[in-house]
Amino acid sequence: MADVELATAGRAAARHGTFTRDRLVFGYALLAPAVLYMCLLVGLPFFFSLYLSLSDATVGSQVARFVGLQNFVAIFQDSTFRLALRNTVMFTVVAGIFKGLLGTLMAFLLIQEVAGRKFIRSLIVLPWTLPVAISALAWKWMFDPQFSAINYVGVRLGLIHGWPNWIGEPSLAMAAVIAVNVWRGFPFAAIVLMAGFSAVPLELLDAGKVDGATFFHRYRYIVIPVIAPILFVGLLFDTVFTLSDLSIIYLLTFGGPMGATEILPTRAFEIGIQAGALGRGAAIALVLFPILLPVVYFGGGKRCERGRGGPGAGGVDRGGGAARPRATPPAPSPRLRGARAVCPDRGVPRVLDGRHRVQDRQ
Amino acid sequence: MAIQSGPALSGRGMRRPSRRGGRHEIGDTTLGRWVRIYIPVLLFLFVTLFPFYWMLITSFKSPSELLDFNQSPLFVVKPTLEHYRHLFTGTHFGRWTLNTTVVAVVSTLISLLCSILAGYSLARLRYRGADTIGWGIFVTYLVPPTLLFLPLAFLIRRLHLFNNLWSLILTYPTFLIPFSTWLLIGYFKGIPRELEESALVDGATRVQTMIRIVVPLALPGILSAGIFAFTLCWNEFLYSLIFLNDTIAKTISVGVTSELIRGDDFFWGELMAASLLGSLPVALLYSFFVDRFVAGLTAGAVKG
Repeated sequence: MADVELATAGRAAARHGTFTRDRLVFGYALLAPAVLYMCLLVGLPFFFSLYLSLSDATVGSQVARFVGLQNFVAIFQDSTFRLALRNTVMFTVVAGIFKGLLGTLMAFLLIQEVAGRKFIRSLIVLPWTLPVAISALAWKWMFDPQFSAINYVGVRLGLIHGWPNWIGEPSLAMAAVIAVNVWRGFPFAAIVLMAGFSAVPLELLDAGKVDGATFFHRYRYIVIPVIAPILFVGLLFDTVFTLSDLSIIYLLTFGGPMGATEILPTRAFEIGIQAGALGRGAAIALVLFPILLPVVYFGGGKRCERGRGGPGAGGVDRGGGAARPRATPPAPSPRLRGARAVCPDRGVPRVLDGRHRVQDRQ
Repeated sequence: MAIQSGPALSGRGMRRPSRRGGRHEIGDTTLGRWVRIYIPVLLFLFVTLFPFYWMLITSFKSPSELLDFNQSPLFVVKPTLEHYRHLFTGTHFGRWTLNTTVVAVVSTLISLLCSILAGYSLARLRYRGADTIGWGIFVTYLVPPTLLFLPLAFLIRRLHLFNNLWSLILTYPTFLIPFSTWLLIGYFKGIPRELEESALVDGATRVQTMIRIVVPLALPGILSAGIFAFTLCWNEFLYSLIFLNDTIAKTISVGVTSELIRGDDFFWGELMAASLLGSLPVALLYSFFVDRFVAGLTAGAVKG
C-alpha cells in the first residue's frame, strides 16, 4: 500500500528523523549509478546536440562557430527535408494504424479457445524478435522484382500485373517499407493487447450484459477503459520506435527512390554522418523532438500521476480516464457504477480471483 | 505479487469457457469456428512465418538456382551447404557473433545492476522526489537513438573508442537502463512490504533485506528484464553501424549488411544463411519466455 510507511517509522517516533534520513541517503545512493549514467550519456548528449544544431560544427573542423538558428532556416528551405518530414508523419501514422488493427484482430483470435494457442503465440512473436537489419534484408530479397516469391506468386494468381519493382518505384516504395514495419510491429501490438484483454474483469462484462449493454457498449465502456493504460503504453513505445526507425528504410531503400521514403532519421544520417555536417544533421534530428514531445509528455505525465495516487483513488475509472486523452467519458449507468464498486480492482491477481469465482459458479 | 501475473497471460480474460451452455449460436459450429478463428489464424501465421521460410530455402539454394528465372522460387531443388561453408570460412561471421554476444552480455549486466538498484530504490523506499525521478528515467527511454547518435558519435570519437566494442557497451545501456528500471519497479512493487518489514524488525539491515529478500523474490522480473535487454542489444543496428567500421570489430547486423553486400552485388545465399543463424538465439529465447516477458511488461503498466 502506497502510503503505509514502514512500520518501524511510525512506532519509534523518536528515531523517526534519523530513520527517514538514513532511508533517504540509502535511496539516493542506490539511485546514483542509473541516474548518473543517464545524465552523462543521454542528458549531456541531448543538450550537446542542441548546441551542435546552433553551430556550424563539422566532423573535420576543430572549432565550431555559433550560428544561431541558421541551420534550422536552412533545413526548412530544403525540399528534401520537407519531403522527409511529411514522409515521417505518414510512415508513422499509417504503419501505426495497420499495426493497431492487425494487432487487435490477432489478439481477439488468440484469446479464443484454439488448439495449440501457446505454440501459435510463440510463432506469432517471431518477427518482432528478429533483428531489424535481418528482417529488412529478408524482405529486400522478397521484394526482388525478378527472382522472388512475391511477384512470382502474385503474377501467377493474377493479383499483380507486370513485374513491379517494389522498392525501386517511388509509388510502391513507401508501401513496401510500411509493410515491413507492420510485419515487424503487429505481433507486439497483439501480445500487449492480449495481456490487456486478460485484465478485463468478467464481473463488469456480466454486469453490463445484465444492464442490457450491447456488445459495442460493453466494448466501449468496459473493455477499452480497462485495457487503455496497457494499450496506451504499447502505442507510446511503438510510436517512438517507429518515428525513429531508421534501419528498415536504411537497408531497404535508403530514402530512395527519389526521396520517396526519405524520413527525418535517414536525412539526419545522410547529412550528419555521411556528409559530416554535424550541426545541420543535429538540427534535422531535433525536428523530431517537437513531434515526440506530446507523446513523451502524455506517457510520462500519466505514469507520474499514477505513481502518486493513493490506494483508494485508483480503480478502473482512474486508470482508464487518465489514459484516454479525449477524456470525458459519458457517465455510465448507476448500476454499472455499482458493479465497479463491487470489483474496483485493476491489479492482475485480484482480477484473476474474480475470474476464478466466475468459473466456479458455472 | 508480480510472480502471480504469469497466469494472467493465459489470455483467458474475456473468454468464458463453454458459457453458452445449451444455447448454441449459429457461428459456433465446427465450420463456423474454422471460418471465424482457424482460417484467420492460419493466414496470420503464414504472413508472419513466410519470410523465415524464404530465408531458409534461399540459404540452401545453389547460386545458379537462386537466379534461375525458369524455376519456381518457392522451393529448393538441389539443396547445398555451400553458403554456410562460405559464411564460416570466407567471412568473419564467427567473429561477428562473438562480438555481438560479448557486447550484449556485458551491457545487459551493466544495465541490470544499475536498474535493480534504481528500481528497488524507486519502488521500495518512498522518499520525496521518487516519482519525479522515476518519471525522468522513463522519459529518457523515449528519447530515441536517432536524436542521440550524432552527439554520441562525436563523444565516441573524442574518447577514441571508434571501432572498439566499448563504444557499444557504453552506449547500449542508455536505452536498456530506462526500460529495465521501469519494468523492475513494477516487480518490486508487487512484493509484499510485510516481508521486508519483519526482516527489518528482526534486525536485518536495509542492504540485507534488499539482497536476501526483495531481489530473490523479484528474480522472474530480473530475468525478463535481462532477456529483453539482451534482445535489444542483439538486434541493435544504428549505433553499431556508426561506431564500427573495422571488419573484425563488427556485430552481426552490421557485418552481414556491409560485408555481404558489395555495391549492387548481394550475396543472397550467404545473407540469408547469416540472417537465419543471427536471428536464431533470440528467437529461441523468446519462444520460451514470451509469457514471462509480457507479464513483466504489463506488471509495469498495470500496477505502475
